[in-house]
Amino acid sequence: MSNLSRHIQTVVLFVFAIYALAPVYLVLLASMRSEADLFSGPLSVPWPINIENYRRVWQESGFSVFFLNSLKISASVTVLVVLSAPLAGFAFVKMQFKGREALFALFLAGLVVPAPSIIVALYGNLQALGMIDSHLGVILPQAALLMPFSVFLMRTVMQDVPDELIEASVMDGATFFQTFLRVVVPVVRPGLMSLILIVFLFSWQEYLLPLVVLQTESLKPLTVGAASLQGRYGVDYGGIAAAGLIAFAPLVALFLVMQRSFVRGISAGAVK
Amino acid sequence: MPTRSAYLFLLPALLLYLTFVAIPILQIVYFSFFDWDNGIRGGFVGMDNFARLGGDRVFLAALGHNAIWVILTLAFPLMAGLLLAAILAERSNNTRRWLGAIYFMPRTIPLVVAGIIWGWIYNPLFGLLNYILDGVGLGFMAGAWLAEPSSALLSLNVVGAWTFFGFCVVIFLAAIQSIDPSLYEAAEIDGARWWRRFRDITVPLLKNSTLFLGLYAAIEAMRFFDLIWVTTQGGPGYSTEVLTTHIYKTFFLVGDFGYAAVLSVVLLIIVLSLSSITFWLLKSK
Repeated sequence: MSNLSRHIQTVVLFVFAIYALAPVYLVLLASMRSEADLFSGPLSVPWPINIENYRRVWQESGFSVFFLNSLKISASVTVLVVLSAPLAGFAFVKMQFKGREALFALFLAGLVVPAPSIIVALYGNLQALGMIDSHLGVILPQAALLMPFSVFLMRTVMQDVPDELIEASVMDGATFFQTFLRVVVPVVRPGLMSLILIVFLFSWQEYLLPLVVLQTESLKPLTVGAASLQGRYGVDYGGIAAAGLIAFAPLVALFLVMQRSFVRGISAGAVK
Repeated sequence: MPTRSAYLFLLPALLLYLTFVAIPILQIVYFSFFDWDNGIRGGFVGMDNFARLGGDRVFLAALGHNAIWVILTLAFPLMAGLLLAAILAERSNNTRRWLGAIYFMPRTIPLVVAGIIWGWIYNPLFGLLNYILDGVGLGFMAGAWLAEPSSALLSLNVVGAWTFFGFCVVIFLAAIQSIDPSLYEAAEIDGARWWRRFRDITVPLLKNSTLFLGLYAAIEAMRFFDLIWVTTQGGPGYSTEVLTTHIYKTFFLVGDFGYAAVLSVVLLIIVLSLSSITFWLLKSK
């Protein structure tokens, strides 16, 4: 390759890196800017560094509560999915039963169902179940909406478990459930890790369900909290920036640390 | 090994899925055939609710915006992802890993927060975009990006692209790395330049991934809600209205249950058709 075209390609790589990073960098700067420093322009490095915005948002605007709510909701959704999707994925790949194709097709259909398209019925059902304005009313539908993707991913992962391993265990007199726990789970541990990360991420990002289900301020998660903060204090840019950072920093950190698991899960679900 | 315990294995997942996804879908279809008054179901009206679609200008506008969103997504983030993946495939492992992570990172940010951040970049008074345009002497191009009907949808699509192009890079990169390297070596010996190798080897062999990502982008373009809701709520006027925001308003703000159900059915038909096409095409390969 000529040097020139290689240089042009490098420029392209960097331009897109800036596109990806600049907004995040800008928010980071703004979140540490004091009011006195506000007029030195959005690109200047804030000095002195100021954590007052974080303190204010965390303590006064309720973000410590929103954060704990996000954690509670996402962790619960993840636990529910991890306890159910791998079993279903295993059944679809390694067990013979009547209606297997039909049941799998049923799950497959749900793969693309968006929350807004079922909210009209879901809302009434949650009301009837007494789950409006409760975390359960967000957790259960969210786990259900993520189930098709999770079952699909787990089915892909379970395909790599050698049949001989399962047969040997069953021959030894173990039940399917014992086999699943002792033989299968250790083999698919990386796949389970991917599932946990992706489900946690998706659930943390969810906005519509908590927006319509939760009314009490102290029950809301970060996405809803950040959006309403934007409406309330239209000009408090430092506060909004700090709030935004609190809402996405855990996800970015999780992604950077566990990148390999993320990418494996996403490409397994996508490519196969 | 036929076994009854398979049903027990399926039970927890199936129970959740039926209760909170499958049954609501059936209910919505059912609801759409009835007359509704203040949330109370009235008589059966057949297709009457559906007949309103043709005269609903907001619906038609929303459908058009969803379609424009698909086209813009195919034209920009998908193509950019393909190009970046092809370039990255020839770089060192370290470059690939780091830039891959950087490109993908915006996708980990909730769309609501992405909307807030970019809403601020686009702000006509304090926003970074106008500030930069002013700074480089292009002040005449500055505008109220999200407040003008002519620029709002396009400006929001740049945000959508921001969260999507890195995903395309990751998928394309995985696909490129599964291409037989001897194809590239042979082409290089024949003296084929980078662009020719890209056009004649990479692009044709990535047909499946491109197809998958294209249909995925189309489905996502029909499903998205957060980004619009937190920035423009469909405005100004109806210039960024999409199907999901129209459903939300019809149901929660207007309280028109029957028609909200009709719009939901339309959305479901569209996404289910797109996903059936995806599976059918990928299977027949």
